[in-house]
Amino acid sequence: MNANSEQRRRERLDRGIKVRSDGIYSLMSYRELCYLVLPRAVLITGMLILPLVVPTYWQKVVSYVCIYALLTLSFDFLAHFVGLVSLGGAFFVGTGGYFAAILNTVLGLPPLLSIPIATILGAFICTLLLLPCLPLRGVYFAIVTLMYPLLFTRVIEALNILGGTDGMVGVTNFTNHYFIIIMLLAFLFGIRRLVNQDLGLVLRAVKDNDQAVRASGMSITYYKTIAVFIGSVMGCLAGAYLAHVFEWAGLSSFALDFSILPIAATVIGGAGTLVGPVLGAFILVPLNEWLRDFGTLRIVIYALILLAFIVFRSEGIMVYGMRKYHQFEKWVKV
Amino acid sequence: MLDATGLMVFYENMLALNNVSIRCGENQIVGVFGANSAGKSTLMYTLSGIMEDIRRKEEMAGGERISVLGRINYLGEEIMDLKPAKRAKKGIVLCPERRRIFKECNVVENLRIGGYLASAGQAKKTIEYIFKIFPALEKLQKRIGGFLSGGEQQMLAIGRALMAQPKLLLLDEPLLGLSPLMQAVLVRTTKEIREQKGISIIVTEQYARPVLPIVDYAFILENGAAVLEGGRDELMNNPDVRSAYFGI
Repeated sequence: MNANSEQRRRERLDRGIKVRSDGIYSLMSYRELCYLVLPRAVLITGMLILPLVVPTYWQKVVSYVCIYALLTLSFDFLAHFVGLVSLGGAFFVGTGGYFAAILNTVLGLPPLLSIPIATILGAFICTLLLLPCLPLRGVYFAIVTLMYPLLFTRVIEALNILGGTDGMVGVTNFTNHYFIIIMLLAFLFGIRRLVNQDLGLVLRAVKDNDQAVRASGMSITYYKTIAVFIGSVMGCLAGAYLAHVFEWAGLSSFALDFSILPIAATVIGGAGTLVGPVLGAFILVPLNEWLRDFGTLRIVIYALILLAFIVFRSEGIMVYGMRKYHQFEKWVKV
Repeated sequence: MLDATGLMVFYENMLALNNVSIRCGENQIVGVFGANSAGKSTLMYTLSGIMEDIRRKEEMAGGERISVLGRINYLGEEIMDLKPAKRAKKGIVLCPERRRIFKECNVVENLRIGGYLASAGQAKKTIEYIFKIFPALEKLQKRIGGFLSGGEQQMLAIGRALMAQPKLLLLDEPLLGLSPLMQAVLVRTTKEIREQKGISIIVTEQYARPVLPIVDYAFILENGAAVLEGGRDELMNNPDVRSAYFGI
């Protein structure tokens, strides 16, 4: 608040080129075309050349990043477009990972079959198990998704099934960066399109006011089930691929990291933008690796970075970046 | 008592309040009338300082940029830079639109929360006073806030605002969604509060008819600007006001 005698305020306006190219069907020049295409092109080409440019040690990190990015995308989609705060990263990864391992080692399916089948089967099981808490709103979904991984680790440990504490070893190695990068891009643009279509509209309405959706004659459980299935497909895909990268699926597939890091990445990237959280994962996961030299101290640094982001720029990188790209500011006299 | 000059509020580039100046004297009831989107609530938020809070939240979340300009002189002091809590301590208490009572606390608890700024003795006396002016609330002491009817909730909201020991009470649309009978009760009580407690009151409303008889002075807002002001009788006889805010 400023009450100085000379009254000015900072005005924020959309750039002309944004206004002109907003109606996507009426592009008038190559400049407007570039304006629209540039951010997307940078993202896609950046991701595609990533495996070619990173040094050997970091090659594996590319896969991890994409796995976490998928989980983050799933979190952002469920939390900010359906209103389900999901801590289910670990659950999805574990389910997908174990399914892939079973299909690969017991049934002998090749990775290109075991990953998709594990993804669909895993997502199906996850959705089924999460079904009881879908008619509810509030924290129940978060609690239940957090409990399942704990439950499964203890069951596997106690009954000594699925390899027990050693996990399932001997999974075929399948580390193909392009596979996971293209899957990530496909899901990213797919979800972005989905949330603007009829189904996405209903899902966003469920988030805003589920009673009004019910009153409009739609079953919120049905729509939430679809959304959870989509979310768990992404999570299980990440898990299944991870099992093939590690050549192993074990109790640490249910590690809490898979649930927590996506939330952190979403905070950094900008909640509800879909692209932002993916970028957040691309920042946080390499940072995690890079800080490995510091030992346990890395958690401290990690926490400080997160804290700084929440306190000083809780809008997230992507929201900030989009505003700078689309709008300009100037001082005007009142 | 309160003298606000040149209040301007921008939501991003939209002008919500355009150079509005309003005054409220000691022990006066001042009415602010206007249609939806005239800027009544924005004005109330600005006076009570909640606007500053909204502005900061929006800034943190990367949303709209809200600019607030102008001066508010309260008891000879410039309060534009004060936070809402400080303003409440100085005696400017807002009773928000749509009541906003604490839905999971019972009636007495709601009142006690409002009495955070008051001493124990003051709080006790004020609770007794509130039950005296709103006898309906006394029977509902242990009822959970969310289960009260609209009128009871509004009484509770006014009671809660009174608990903060206001010198200037801001009532934002106190009659919203209430039956004519309940409106009459509330209007009468508002007048009583002014007379018995010596509190100045600024009240906003869309429909001026129930409130105008008790106000001493009134402002008419239209599209964010104060287009008309005057004493009660002056406005009552103004044909434009009669048609627009009286429905005659």
